[in-house]
Amino acid sequence: MSYSKEDLRDLYNGTLPWGQVKEIMSNPKDDDRFDKYIEILQESVLWEERILMPLGEHIFVVEKDGERITKCDCGHEFGDWRQNWKLNALIYVRDDRVKLEEIYPGIRCPDPDICEVREYYCPGCGALLKVESVPVGHPPLFEILPDIDVFYREWLGTPLKHEKEFKDRTYEVTREWGKET
Amino acid sequence: MDNGKETEIIACDAGGTMIDMVIVDKEGNFSIGKSATTPLDQSVGYWSSLCDAYEYWKIDLERESKDILPLVESAVYAGTGMLNVLLTGTGQKVGVITQAGDEDVLLHERARQSYAGYSYQDVLHHVTHRHTDPIVPRKMVKGVTGRIDMFGMEVFPLNEAEVKDAVEDLLDQGVEAIAVCLWYCFLNPSHELSVGEIAKAIIAERRMAVRVHLSHQLAPIIREQARLNTTILNAYAAEPAREQLVKIEQRLHDNGYQRPLQIILSHGGLSNVQYPRLHEATFSGPLGGLLGALHLAPQLGINNWVCSDMGGTSFDVGLITAGEPYMLREVVFARRFFNIPTLSMDSIGAGMGQFVTVDPLSKRPLIGPGSAGAEPGPVSYNAGNEIPTVMDCALIMGILNPDNYLGGKVKLDKPKAFSAIKEQCADPLGVDPYYFAEGITQLINNTMREHIRSVLLARGFSPADYCLIGYGGAGPVHLAGYSDGLPFKGVATVPWAAGFSAFGCAAVDITHRYQKSATVVIPYGVDDDFKMFMGGMMNAAWDELEQQAMGDLKAEGLPWEKAQIKPIAYVRYGGQMEDLEVLSPVNRIRTPQDIDKLLADFDDLYSKVHAGVAQYREAGYHIFEVGLMTVLPKIKPKLIKRSLEDKQPRKDAVKGERDVFANGQWHTAAIYDMDQLRPGNAIDDIAVIEAPATTLFIPPGKHVHMDEWSLLWIT
Repeated sequence: MSYSKEDLRDLYNGTLPWGQVKEIMSNPKDDDRFDKYIEILQESVLWEERILMPLGEHIFVVEKDGERITKCDCGHEFGDWRQNWKLNALIYVRDDRVKLEEIYPGIRCPDPDICEVREYYCPGCGALLKVESVPVGHPPLFEILPDIDVFYREWLGTPLKHEKEFKDRTYEVTREWGKET
Repeated sequence: MDNGKETEIIACDAGGTMIDMVIVDKEGNFSIGKSATTPLDQSVGYWSSLCDAYEYWKIDLERESKDILPLVESAVYAGTGMLNVLLTGTGQKVGVITQAGDEDVLLHERARQSYAGYSYQDVLHHVTHRHTDPIVPRKMVKGVTGRIDMFGMEVFPLNEAEVKDAVEDLLDQGVEAIAVCLWYCFLNPSHELSVGEIAKAIIAERRMAVRVHLSHQLAPIIREQARLNTTILNAYAAEPAREQLVKIEQRLHDNGYQRPLQIILSHGGLSNVQYPRLHEATFSGPLGGLLGALHLAPQLGINNWVCSDMGGTSFDVGLITAGEPYMLREVVFARRFFNIPTLSMDSIGAGMGQFVTVDPLSKRPLIGPGSAGAEPGPVSYNAGNEIPTVMDCALIMGILNPDNYLGGKVKLDKPKAFSAIKEQCADPLGVDPYYFAEGITQLINNTMREHIRSVLLARGFSPADYCLIGYGGAGPVHLAGYSDGLPFKGVATVPWAAGFSAFGCAAVDITHRYQKSATVVIPYGVDDDFKMFMGGMMNAAWDELEQQAMGDLKAEGLPWEKAQIKPIAYVRYGGQMEDLEVLSPVNRIRTPQDIDKLLADFDDLYSKVHAGVAQYREAGYHIFEVGLMTVLPKIKPKLIKRSLEDKQPRKDAVKGERDVFANGQWHTAAIYDMDQLRPGNAIDDIAVIEAPATTLFIPPGKHVHMDEWSLLWIT
């Protein structure tokens, strides 16, 4: 099974009519979705690096000079994909009732002693990339660390040239920060 | 040919894509016509379908209609006209007046409506749930203050000034109809009536032609979401649909037909086009077969039937138990709930047009969920579809005749079907294409068999108490397969299986049904005074429904004095969730014994439907709904009893031989012409019996014989 690239583009842009969206949801997954999806994403950005995997609406893991980095669609680069990109984002923390009530008014507002909401913005373009709601003091969530090589090798059957060690390397950033202080 | 000069019945089933027509002559001979639906003016498609049916009888209807149509006794219409108005959004501009505070009811939809009508898989997948687009936009929904409580008492008077403002505002917005639905109006309609009067006064003052629809007159049943939907449906779609029906009737009259066009209602009743509650005709197409079996039941002396209809996309199963069908009182059409009494049919997606694929990951053969429909149709139609279907499998196995499909009107491309099945399905699995095709046939037969089993078991019934009848164009092809292994009393089909639904539509009386919520509680062992008090409440409800029925029949120009009136009560034992429809043995409750009789009839029916030991009189009885049926008998097609002939079919019944793949090998099967089989004939070997619109397949090890009523029984 396969859908046209135009339909898939409309699907991601949210402009495909609901009837078709529902049909796609209810049917088995189409064979070539990932390839077409990547093509559509690649056509939507201005830079040349190959997109390996999307992490959100604006950020992707891309291949650059044999390395893999996290990159925003505006072109801003966050560094190695195995390091939580959030550490290099602009962060706005809603940690008191006034700030929280801007989003969750009245009885919907969580208790700021227990919970805080953090918004992560791109330093390049200011786009809101992710929002997390966590207990106060919780380290930033590393939401997606994909095992890209296994995915390409075993799921897609098209292994990537420069295979990398699969390991969370966020601590390397925080260790550097530790040295600075 | 003299056929058709004396057509007795014209019956049509207008679907979303095709209009099927069946014409029946006085001998019971029939012919089937087909034409594409013409949504803008349905009478065009209706007429060409009718002409098509006469073509088989070598009659040019355009030329000879003035000789033929005046003799027709009855023209019956079943279809999805109203549903199409709803689905295509071509209804009237409706404004709604509802209870203040309840204005968002069309948006929140009782939550359930966000997945109404979904497949079971999708019901579980919340991501697919979505609210329907409301028929009436929020700005055209006005709330008015006032309150009737659950006992029908006024808690808060109606704010008439608000009503006036609401009506003025809706009229300013240019509505063409106003639907009114207030809480508990079915217990006390005074507020709805006041809204109606105020609205009508303002409309008259403004010299406008806007109709006001009051929910308690259309669906006086508890549950305001379905009641409001029903009222809106009537306001939105009834008039446009009526226009279409009037056009069809006009075309028939212009060509010589002299009687009214009759409309099948979803509860199996019949009305003419002037019927005020035309919304009841929303959904009637698939019910025809059930009505046909109901018509056959008393003549054959068989009261328990499982009716199974296999068409292009769905497999519908309905039950007749103790001579009665099941009635649903809340149904889903076009993803909305309605309070329209509807004969119960359980459908699953399983049809001849369903796609056959192989799951690329699991390598599992899959049937559906999509279907090729009539257009572009199966691969063998050679009309654009490249994905094999269930029908293509039957074709390559030799069951279907590529040169005699729909009477030879459609030539089937067998090599194309074969290569599609081979390349897309059999090769990826590494199996023989014929083996694959038979596997798919078995798979869909299993699905249908399990569906029948679950429909029976869900109600606590056993196949051993029922006869199965299979119809629909595709039914006879699979009947022997899907009935195999279920211990039915008998398995039957009819030579006119493809037209059985239309036949059934022609076989009903002019019947109307009315329903109303009530609160009647009769505890165990209460005294006579209490019974009479409760009886009085039922009488009042029946009186009200009878008045309404009289008004409707008069509006249709039908003789009220000739109508049989049958009061109904929906009775359950105290604390139960489901009730049974009981035809009251008395016209009104006049003595305490009348109540006892009614409840005894319920006990009796309950033990027939469930089991004697399940009776629970000590829990008392609850009646939360009463109803009324009016019946005017009309001419129906007759089932003709013929004398039995030889077991051996006549020579001219045998058309030849063909290789058919079954049980993993090729067999030489005799081919018979269905039209030439006679009562008494029997066939004991693998055989294919061809009729213009269907094919009956008898696999090895099965037998078929035709009884004196021309029913074909498979053993």
